[in-house]
Amino acid sequence: MKDLRPTQIKEAWTLLFVLGVIMINYPFIHIFNKETTVFGSPLLVVYFMVGWPLSILVVYIFVRHLEHQPTEDEGKDSEE
Amino acid sequence: MISVQLVALISLAYFALLFGVAYFADKRREAGRSIISNSHIYSLSLAVFVTTWTLYGSVGRAATSGLDFLPVYLGPTLIAFTWWFFLRKMVLVSKEHNIVSIADFISSRYRKSAVLGAIVTIFAVIGIMPYIALQLKAVAHTFDLLTTTQVGPGGSAQFTPLAPRMDTAFIVATVLALFGVLFGARRLDASARHEGLVAAVALESIIKLVAFLAVGVFVTYGLFDGYADIFQRFFATFPDRDYLVTIGTTQIPYAKWFSLTFISIMAVMFLPRQFHIMVIENSDPKHIKSAMWRFPAYMFLINLFVIPIALGGLLMFGGDTTHADYFVLHLPLESGHHWLALLVFLGGFSGAAGMVMVSSIALATMILNHLVMPIVIKLRFESHDLSGFLINMKRLAIVAVIFQGYLYYKIIGDSFALVNIGLISFVAATQFAPAVIGGLYWRRGNVSGATTGLLLGFVVWFYTLLVPSFVRSGWVKTDILENGLFDLPLLRPTELFGLSGFDLWTHSLFWTMFFNLSAYLLVSLLTRPNSIDREQAAKFVDPESYREEEQKRRRISKAPTIMEFVNLMAKFIGEKQAHATIAEYLGDREIDERGSLSEYDLPNLKRFAERTLAGSVGTAPARIIIENYLSARGSEMEDVFDIFGTVTLSRTASREQLGVLYEAASIAASGEELKNILDNILELLMRQFKFDLCVIRILDEDRNSLIVRSQKGMSSEHLGESERDLSMDTYIGEAFLTNSVNKVNDTDFLEKPHSAQIIHREGIKSFAHAPITVEGQPMGVLSAFSRSVKGIFTEEFVERFRSLAGQIGVAWRNASQTRRLIEVRGQERELQIAKNIQLGLLPTQTPKTTGISLAGICVPARQVGGDYYDYLERGENGIDLIIADVSGHNVGAALIMAEARTFIQAQARQIDSANEIMEAINRFFYADLTRAELFITMFYLKYNSANHEMAYASAGHNPPLIWRRDSNACEWLDAEGLILGIRKEVVFEEKKGTLNPGDLVLLYTDGIIEAENAREGFFGRDRLCALVSEYHDRPPQEIINNLLDQVRLFTGMQTFNDDVTMIVMRVEK
Repeated sequence: MKDLRPTQIKEAWTLLFVLGVIMINYPFIHIFNKETTVFGSPLLVVYFMVGWPLSILVVYIFVRHLEHQPTEDEGKDSEE
Repeated sequence: MISVQLVALISLAYFALLFGVAYFADKRREAGRSIISNSHIYSLSLAVFVTTWTLYGSVGRAATSGLDFLPVYLGPTLIAFTWWFFLRKMVLVSKEHNIVSIADFISSRYRKSAVLGAIVTIFAVIGIMPYIALQLKAVAHTFDLLTTTQVGPGGSAQFTPLAPRMDTAFIVATVLALFGVLFGARRLDASARHEGLVAAVALESIIKLVAFLAVGVFVTYGLFDGYADIFQRFFATFPDRDYLVTIGTTQIPYAKWFSLTFISIMAVMFLPRQFHIMVIENSDPKHIKSAMWRFPAYMFLINLFVIPIALGGLLMFGGDTTHADYFVLHLPLESGHHWLALLVFLGGFSGAAGMVMVSSIALATMILNHLVMPIVIKLRFESHDLSGFLINMKRLAIVAVIFQGYLYYKIIGDSFALVNIGLISFVAATQFAPAVIGGLYWRRGNVSGATTGLLLGFVVWFYTLLVPSFVRSGWVKTDILENGLFDLPLLRPTELFGLSGFDLWTHSLFWTMFFNLSAYLLVSLLTRPNSIDREQAAKFVDPESYREEEQKRRRISKAPTIMEFVNLMAKFIGEKQAHATIAEYLGDREIDERGSLSEYDLPNLKRFAERTLAGSVGTAPARIIIENYLSARGSEMEDVFDIFGTVTLSRTASREQLGVLYEAASIAASGEELKNILDNILELLMRQFKFDLCVIRILDEDRNSLIVRSQKGMSSEHLGESERDLSMDTYIGEAFLTNSVNKVNDTDFLEKPHSAQIIHREGIKSFAHAPITVEGQPMGVLSAFSRSVKGIFTEEFVERFRSLAGQIGVAWRNASQTRRLIEVRGQERELQIAKNIQLGLLPTQTPKTTGISLAGICVPARQVGGDYYDYLERGENGIDLIIADVSGHNVGAALIMAEARTFIQAQARQIDSANEIMEAINRFFYADLTRAELFITMFYLKYNSANHEMAYASAGHNPPLIWRRDSNACEWLDAEGLILGIRKEVVFEEKKGTLNPGDLVLLYTDGIIEAENAREGFFGRDRLCALVSEYHDRPPQEIINNLLDQVRLFTGMQTFNDDVTMIVMRVEK
């Protein structure tokens, strides 16, 4: 993502958002919606309690990338 | 049981702390060192999303229906992905327009519609009602719980309400109202931001998180042995309740799951309090960046222990879900951890207080701006300072918002679980989504679409959610639920149009969005947007590109002064504030000599005043106030005449303008006659800009006035035909003398009485004069007059106009250069003639007088010299040497020389003495020389080789040099006598002397001794003398050549600056 232009970043964010919505909804969620347990906890609970922080990590990494590209940040300003 | 006093005391201490923090933050802000302007505080303040609903309700829901508490936090986590462009755009646009609330945002976007603002406000106020009720219910209940719960011997809770007459919820509502007023409406602020409030909310967020994590850790690892242990025991105890950890069940169908995700996403963006904290209180859009992961992280942490606490509670209370909403409090209470319970209570109180304060303040602002202000404006406001009234209205609104929540609580009572009450508000907030998102990304979205969509959404929301909630509480008869409105089964609120089988939320979300969104899209597409629609749409959809352009092209006629603007603002924001803001605004602006802003800054000031008012009363009222004010005093905003007839996009406009300039430049360079060029340029000006009259005047230096050289358009004797004196009394004179464009965009305001008379008589509305310059110096003025429009001359156009005047200057310079070239050619020919005359005059051969050797030369400096030399033979032994220098280098001088020669040749032989010859020449030439403004210096030397005698006279000529062989030294011959042509009668002295063999005479003109080099100055007589001594024995021609060489060496140049003429005569032995 080194060479991402502002519009691409915008698209990347939108993509992540859409992916996120898909991943917590039917039918995708159906994969984890089972009565099995992992480490003693129900699979679905584990899915959320692991998937959620992971998604936050992804945002964190993307944001860090934004911060390390101050010029692109400004470019972004003018893009919108 | 904890004593009422203790809980009250601790709560009070906590209030005091919050208020102290808020007060500190406000002080720091005033000192310019904000403590909240950083991404940490911003992220924390966003957690105002977390209320008692989360702290108590999530657990309740997890214990009763299962995982459907999660989407409320997963949705916000997901939408945070888009904040970088979506939220940021909202923030940027809001800051740009000084937007103060979501109602303001929507109304601004859609034609600054006051009606739309009012609709959104009413909707938001009613929509938030259940949510506030929820907070009151939770705090009141937990307070009672804390102070009355007896821990029974069997670990079962005995819950008896406090004395029945004491209405805890009422007290809580009162306290929160007081809080709201203290934080949000202590004084009327021109800015919509409340840093104190944000600081308090951020602190509350910390308390909420700490409290919830503390109780979570306590339950999970204190009461139980971790996650797995709880799940194990839970599955063992309640094998039939596995629906609590799965979805797609009857309790949580997938559709409901999706609906909850969707409305949570919308709620976190569009709930008035979220909008307020995220957008309005945002101090720097950069903070959004880290809030994008910090806020979701907060959401995650606050939910980390929801399931363990819920399941733990079920285990502890044997599966009884009656008090599931308050497991968080019951668990520590039951186990005797009162302090932990107190902490949880404070956490819950924090959530409630934060939500209620921010919501009530945000809603009060909306009520004030969109409901109160329009009425105030209707009722006229001229009379007095309104700021006191306004602040009280705001306080009243805060109280009213909270107490309508209280009212709802009284009606609904305990009939709904916490989460369900809150979700009603969520669906209400979702109704703003089409108008806001469409407004930011869809240009066609217009006021009609937004209004229709919102109204329909509101009605359907009310009918499908609010009415059922009333029914459930028993306040409204159940008939409507079962039979539908007017007994029409199709209109059953929960199965509208026969849509059955869905949960309450999905059903309501579907129908509200269906009507809202489709009405928004359809009506927007079917109605034509007007210019304001398009302008506002552009500002919101494409804020960056719009900003550059922002309105340079409007002006205010009969503009108010700065003070009038200040007074107007003072009415609404108080005098002190008004003066402070205007001082800040004027700080870096130029103010003209009359103490006012330039014509084009006034619209900016108007906009500034509007924005300042908007910060206090909202954009729509601010616009109405300013417009009413201006129209009341007869001023109006006028569109500046669009000279280029194109859309006001600067790029296209400048291309057009450049086109005109290019055309003008090619006319100027066309090489036509000047008159035609000037006419053509004016023609172009008239055609392109629809002026009524264009005039070019050029300076006539002799008469010191501006003379009309070209004129196009209407005939006006005074404006277009008469000349103008150079004086500061006229606009044109001022333009010329100050060498700057002088424009008047509205001739109703003229300063120069003389000009005003003419201008008004001719019906001119606006005009401008631009100096025509050549190399920076003014030499004329280009004038343009318009009878039809005021305000043609924008800054931008004045620049073009000045450039056009520059092109005329170029044309003028080209033309005058051509003229000069022709002159030069004429002169050249003349000079050639003069040269021929001169050369013809010089002696062609040297006389053969005995006893002397002789040589002479004349080297003209340019084509023609003023020098002349001649010999005159007098018998075998006599010779006269004549050298003269006529001032001037033209044919006239040459003719004078010719005349002199003729005279000398003819007359000199009859006159014997040198002085008499001089006197005769002077007398003869005086008249001619005077008339031709010429004069002559001359030296006349007579020599007789028989007796070696010489006689000489001088008419102011350079004294000739004699080199004496005996003494080997130079002598200088001088005699009294005036230059020829000065006076009619002059007496010349004749001097006499002898020349011995070997002596050498040198007659010369000043071209030799005044030859110059930068280092040593003039060539001089001494150098001449020395050279003559050196060359004395050489033949005269060689001496001359050597001398010329030496002079050339001295000056370092091949040619001479002045004519160089010499006669060398040596007396031979």
